[in-house]
Amino acid sequence: MGPEPRGAGPSENRPAHVERCTLSVNERVIRMAVLARGRAEATAHWRKGAIHRFVTTWPFLLPAIVFFVGWQLYPILRVLWLSFTDYHYLRVGETVHWVGLANYREALADPLVRQGLLRALAFTAIFLPGMIIIPLIAAILIDRVRNQRLATIYRVILLIPAMIPGPLIFVLWKWMYSYTIGPINYLLVDVLHVFTIYNAPQWLGDPQLTFLAIAVMEWWWGLGYHTIFFLAGLAAIPRELFEAARVDGASEWRMFWSITLPRLRPVLLVLVVLRFGTAMAVIDEYLIFGGFNRALPTYTWTVYMWDLAFQLGDWRQSYAAAVGWIGALLMLVVVGFLFWLFRPRD
Amino acid sequence: MAERLASKAPLPGPDAVAWRPQHRRPLPWGAILRHAVLLLFCAIVLFPLGWVVLLSVKSLPDAYTNRIWPSEFDFSHYGYAMTHISTLPRNVLNSIFVTSATVVLATICAVLAGYSLVHLETPGRVVVFALLVASMFFPTRITSLIAVYEIQKQLGMLNTTYGLIFPYVTLSLALSVFIMRGIFEVIPRELVDAARIDGCGPWRMLLQVMLPLIRNGIVVVIVVNFVTAWGEYLLATTLTNDQEVRTLPVVLAAASGGMGQWAWPRIAAVYVMAVAPALIAFAITQRWYMRGLQEGALKG
Repeated sequence: MGPEPRGAGPSENRPAHVERCTLSVNERVIRMAVLARGRAEATAHWRKGAIHRFVTTWPFLLPAIVFFVGWQLYPILRVLWLSFTDYHYLRVGETVHWVGLANYREALADPLVRQGLLRALAFTAIFLPGMIIIPLIAAILIDRVRNQRLATIYRVILLIPAMIPGPLIFVLWKWMYSYTIGPINYLLVDVLHVFTIYNAPQWLGDPQLTFLAIAVMEWWWGLGYHTIFFLAGLAAIPRELFEAARVDGASEWRMFWSITLPRLRPVLLVLVVLRFGTAMAVIDEYLIFGGFNRALPTYTWTVYMWDLAFQLGDWRQSYAAAVGWIGALLMLVVVGFLFWLFRPRD
Repeated sequence: MAERLASKAPLPGPDAVAWRPQHRRPLPWGAILRHAVLLLFCAIVLFPLGWVVLLSVKSLPDAYTNRIWPSEFDFSHYGYAMTHISTLPRNVLNSIFVTSATVVLATICAVLAGYSLVHLETPGRVVVFALLVASMFFPTRITSLIAVYEIQKQLGMLNTTYGLIFPYVTLSLALSVFIMRGIFEVIPRELVDAARIDGCGPWRMLLQVMLPLIRNGIVVVIVVNFVTAWGEYLLATTLTNDQEVRTLPVVLAAASGGMGQWAWPRIAAVYVMAVAPALIAFAITQRWYMRGLQEGALKG
């Protein structure tokens, strides 16, 4: 967290590490001269033609590619193919037929799919503003803390939840919201007397409150992580801009709208798009909080897909695949729109 | 001090004003409000964690009164949870095994890939990187689930603990590669060229020249993958069935408090044991982690 300027570190370290492969000074000068004539020649031993380059460099990329293709790219395409068939997982030995768009047509008319997508959108609408605005406030406040040590302490404390894996957060908050042992209702009923035990809110059982309760938990979880993002964005804004604006008599509020926010647009874009993706595709929270209760708003398209694929009837995975792809396509459309919305304008 | 104040007070002019207590800068309301809000945020962040730690050391009768501060402490729940809850030690070992294997594999993959994307002129690197980034904007986890189940079945890895490692590595792979790429990009080209003309091969360059420079980035990648794998729920609950092969989060999520071995303080003790390693590791590596984030993990 020290004030060391970015980029200064590596070049200082240079002699220490490079010494191990050092040649004589003369040799180096000659090679430098060669380099000056063009990097292509100096690195000739690395690029003896395309095949050689392929053989020498692909081993570095290969491990990542194997995992990426094997457990992400291929499965996605395989699911896409399944969505055009009549495949049922538990109907062993039956031939699988190509049915074209039949699954998609059926899914678009399925009230559970429609309701599931709408529910996911509703959750996103609750979740997203708080997930962006609260950390932004925290970041602006921390950015103005002069005492570096104190600023670091704030950051680290806020970052603690980010170190706890999601599902463990959900388990903890399931207990927090519990109306038997949860401390939230204890505070509301026994300490603050806002409610009595007869009308105390059932945070996770009441369809009106479930999404809000989950969103609050997500804000708690994401606060520190997003604050760090915004702090990085704020640190990149030249201080002179604010000083000049102050000289011109601009208010803090005006400076926020005219300088800070436009300069944060790239960070905002990344966070809005990523968190939109998170919110629309939430499943662990819903499974842990709501299970497969269709009356609760947590039964969204993701839970419906899981239910279809691994639980209902004879596991109609082809139809579940279509449901999954419809959700994914809807998300891609919105992401495209967000990119357009946040496009660079100057 | 007082003498000085007294002697200076009658003097007019800006210097004197600075020394008089009643005319010192007005109370910095802005700063007070700022710290109040930040302290409130910190308190909200710490409250649930403090609550669960306290729950884990409450005596059994206290646990059912809901008072946050226990009237009687009982530290026996930790030992009890580890010895009396069937399969629990096994689940902990499963989690440790899967997580460490995932972290090692994912970190190696990410470092090698980041290196080749930035400093080697790997053919096709643009396409590979574009695909990785695109996968971050796509609900990969949901969409691929059905086929991942099928693959695991074909490889005979359904309902096994080690089988979870393979899908786990991919969960944060794109993000890890992205982070490592940012870190490698900060390393100056001149350094790479200098080492190259000195006759450093690609492997030697990575291990001897680069490794000390990307240390902080590696810490970030390890933390990211640790957090993902240690708490993973969806795949674990989909791909495994038996209590003995499952990981800790799945068992915890299924546990609903009540009496006997699953009494609340005992589950809370399990919970604290599940969360503590991550937080202790974070406390130790926090400096490098923050530096790694600054160095380039947050760029782009």
